Amino acid sequence: MSAEQVKSQYPAEYGKVEALLPGQSVSWLNVLRKQALASFSSQGFPSLREEEWRYTNVSAIEKKLFSPVVLAEIGAVDTDWLNTYRLENTCSVVLVDGHFSETLSDLDGLSESVRVLDMAGALEQYPEDLEQYFGQAVSHEEHSFVAFNAAWFTDGLFIHVPAKEILSKPVQVIHVVTQADYMSNTRHIIVIDDMAQAEVIETFIGCDESYLSAAVTEVFIGKNADLTLYKLQLEGEKAYHFGGTYVKQDADSRFKHHNFAFGGLLARNDIRTDLGLASECELNGLYLGIKRQHIDNHTRINHLKPHAISRELYKGVLDQRARGVFQGRVVVAEDAQKTSSEMNNRNLLLSNDAEADTKPQLEIYADDVKCAHGVTVGQLDEKSIFYLQSRCVDEETARNMLTFAFANEMVEKIKIKDLHDQILEQLLVRFPQEGIEQEWL
Amino acid sequence: MSTNAQEIDNLIGQKYKEGFVTDIEVDTFPPGLDEEVIAKLSAIKGEPAFMLEYRLKAFRHWQTMTEPDWAQLNIEPIDYQAISYYSAPKKDSDKPQSLDEVDPKLLETYKKLGIPLDEQERLAGVAVDAVFDSVSVATTFKGKLHDVGVIFCPISEALKEHPELVKQYLGTVVPETDNFFAALNAAVFTDGSFVYIPKGVRCPMELSTYFRINAANTGQFERTLIIADADSHVSYLEGCTAPMRDENQLHAAVVELVALENAVIKYSTVQNWYPGDENGVGGIYNFVTKRAECRGANSKVSWTQVETGSAITWKYPSCVLIGDNSVGEFYSVALTNNYQQADTGTKMIHIGKNTRSTIISKGISAGKSQNTYRGLVKVGKNAENARNYTQCDSLLVGDKCGAHTFPYVEVKQPSAQVEHEATTSKISEDQLFFCQQRGLSAEDAVSMIVNGFCKQVFKELPMEFAVEAQALLGLSLEGSVG
Repeated sequence: MSAEQVKSQYPAEYGKVEALLPGQSVSWLNVLRKQALASFSSQGFPSLREEEWRYTNVSAIEKKLFSPVVLAEIGAVDTDWLNTYRLENTCSVVLVDGHFSETLSDLDGLSESVRVLDMAGALEQYPEDLEQYFGQAVSHEEHSFVAFNAAWFTDGLFIHVPAKEILSKPVQVIHVVTQADYMSNTRHIIVIDDMAQAEVIETFIGCDESYLSAAVTEVFIGKNADLTLYKLQLEGEKAYHFGGTYVKQDADSRFKHHNFAFGGLLARNDIRTDLGLASECELNGLYLGIKRQHIDNHTRINHLKPHAISRELYKGVLDQRARGVFQGRVVVAEDAQKTSSEMNNRNLLLSNDAEADTKPQLEIYADDVKCAHGVTVGQLDEKSIFYLQSRCVDEETARNMLTFAFANEMVEKIKIKDLHDQILEQLLVRFPQEGIEQEWL
Repeated sequence: MSTNAQEIDNLIGQKYKEGFVTDIEVDTFPPGLDEEVIAKLSAIKGEPAFMLEYRLKAFRHWQTMTEPDWAQLNIEPIDYQAISYYSAPKKDSDKPQSLDEVDPKLLETYKKLGIPLDEQERLAGVAVDAVFDSVSVATTFKGKLHDVGVIFCPISEALKEHPELVKQYLGTVVPETDNFFAALNAAVFTDGSFVYIPKGVRCPMELSTYFRINAANTGQFERTLIIADADSHVSYLEGCTAPMRDENQLHAAVVELVALENAVIKYSTVQNWYPGDENGVGGIYNFVTKRAECRGANSKVSWTQVETGSAITWKYPSCVLIGDNSVGEFYSVALTNNYQQADTGTKMIHIGKNTRSTIISKGISAGKSQNTYRGLVKVGKNAENARNYTQCDSLLVGDKCGAHTFPYVEVKQPSAQVEHEATTSKISEDQLFFCQQRGLSAEDAVSMIVNGFCKQVFKELPMEFAVEAQALLGLSLEGSVG
């Protein structure tokens, strides 16, 4: 490959939207966007030759040349359809084609001291506050998707929960993409100050056409603070999705992440958390792949300080020609003595053409640690199916029941009832069990 | 208990005991590598023409390649032109016909190493092929093996006497284009062992090769080729040592195993190349490509390795399970101390139906060393009912070392069952306390716990090797306890 070869055609298009991106008056952001653009231009999208991307080919995103949406072009949203995803008893923020929609959002009932506002607005009102956080949990050098996002983001959300505040209800962030070939690039910053507590739900939906939805979220959790983040990815079946969540945890903080990846043609999800002294993190994930879906989950847990605990469980169900990729990396730094870490990845292959690639990794530089990881790839237990059949359950239903039970373990962990029911419904549609009493659920 | 403690003290007090240099006259090429050197090398060995062609093809390909850098290793750049690619004891020109003619100094060397070269030591019951720098110096028990039809000889001899067999199999498991070090090996390999077990023969004794690097500034490139024909059985042992020198020396070997229908190959290695001193000066760079193909149905290959030496180890003994119902096994103990770095593991490629593989890897890191397990389990589309079980445990001794686990699992077949488990921990204080409370010293306790940790692998080793391996563990842990 020669150095002159054009790595990506996206940078050439940048000029068209540059002047319309938010935060024009913010000088640090201009510098950052320039650096990110330069970094992306020199690399292009990640290639299969890169270790972190060896199972995920994103060249289609390069070929499609999705276009960023400027304010004037935002598509109309079918509100009835949108409302089926809206959860009750939450504050909701709706981002349409990468832009905050005030009319569709509902932020009533939040305490005065809590800030929940769109990134474009926040950049005008609180540029100094944002400067402390923007790019601090993840630099655009992480990989070129992050650089891409930093250069192109059109909006996002800034959530700031002040010290000792407990968010009265969860905040739901709904990302909608309305039209073919659109590209939604959003950037979120979530700051939970010392001893505060919050729950945030990210929902991704879109039209049935091909589009790109990319969201990078930076999270800062203060001392003894608590954040639970749910991500429900229900993109359209031709969609491309990239989601990156990068977390910095201070001492004694707690972070829980529940990641449900059901949609998209190609979906990649990165989660990284840096653990402070005696902090805890729990990463849960469930991915269901069908047709030609490719779902890739990458997690990285950095134990930087002593006494931290991490727990991770990712489960995958892969049917038809779907391919599931999992990489979980736990790094224990020299100082991080007394670390306790457990990681598990379980995959269920339901068809001859499905594929699971998994890469759990431990990188340990401290000695007084307890770390373990486990991986399984397999199919449903024939004996269990036989047992159910002997109880007059037909084979297909028996298979569905067992697959459902395998997946449901992850749904059971959801503490918000409406969200739990919403995801359960998705599972039951996918694995129907006619004639089986559901009441025990 | 006191005698036991003393024994261990003695053991710990020992330095690398194979670190002596044998002072004999040698023929050594000046450092450097080009096509001329390869032609000369081939000519000295009196090889058939196809070999020279093969070597040159490999060399030309090698020149287009770059060193792999994906391993968790920190390697000083290697100057391939500063290495001499051939070194042999001088008397090679009139090759010894029997042991009496072997240079007594060489015999002394192997005696020091405890290798039963003399056929008198029949009790050992092991046929040995000893490779000194670039040439094989002696092979024992040839006659007895010949009676049952087993061919066990230096590969240079095999090239002369059984060229068609070598030609048929050489490079079919590890092609000369496989990787950087395999290509280099294919271009310049000087000797190694060749084993052919004919149909239906169960090899009457363990076969063994002892490798020794002696000369300075030389690289050792040996090539081992083992073919187990249908229904045969062989157990093969390999040991390695080198003198203590301040410079790093390169060792790039290739081992190819071919198991045909119902054949069983058991390959055991105790690798104890010079690991460098406690400051990380010197030591062997060990870049080895080992691969086995289970070509026939119901064949089985089992790799057992104890890796205690080398400054850098880069080694992934693999099994390609082509035949239906074939079995691959990998048992490994990798111990690193001081500044040693090891990146080792295995690949199990399941292609045939009902193929099974087991991986048991035990890593122990001490001092300032880095120890990495890197493995791949790949189940192809047609490998119905493939089964893999992987267990990787790491033990940390000391707070400056690192232990890493990088398994890759790729499954394309739903009926496959793949399990991977890994743990990393230090020696439990409870266990130590318990042992000490029963009157064991801290050293005894550590040694006992470490040996227990490795037991699953040691029990796979042939008797003589298991004893040696346990002794090596104690030796290599020197200075890391307490």
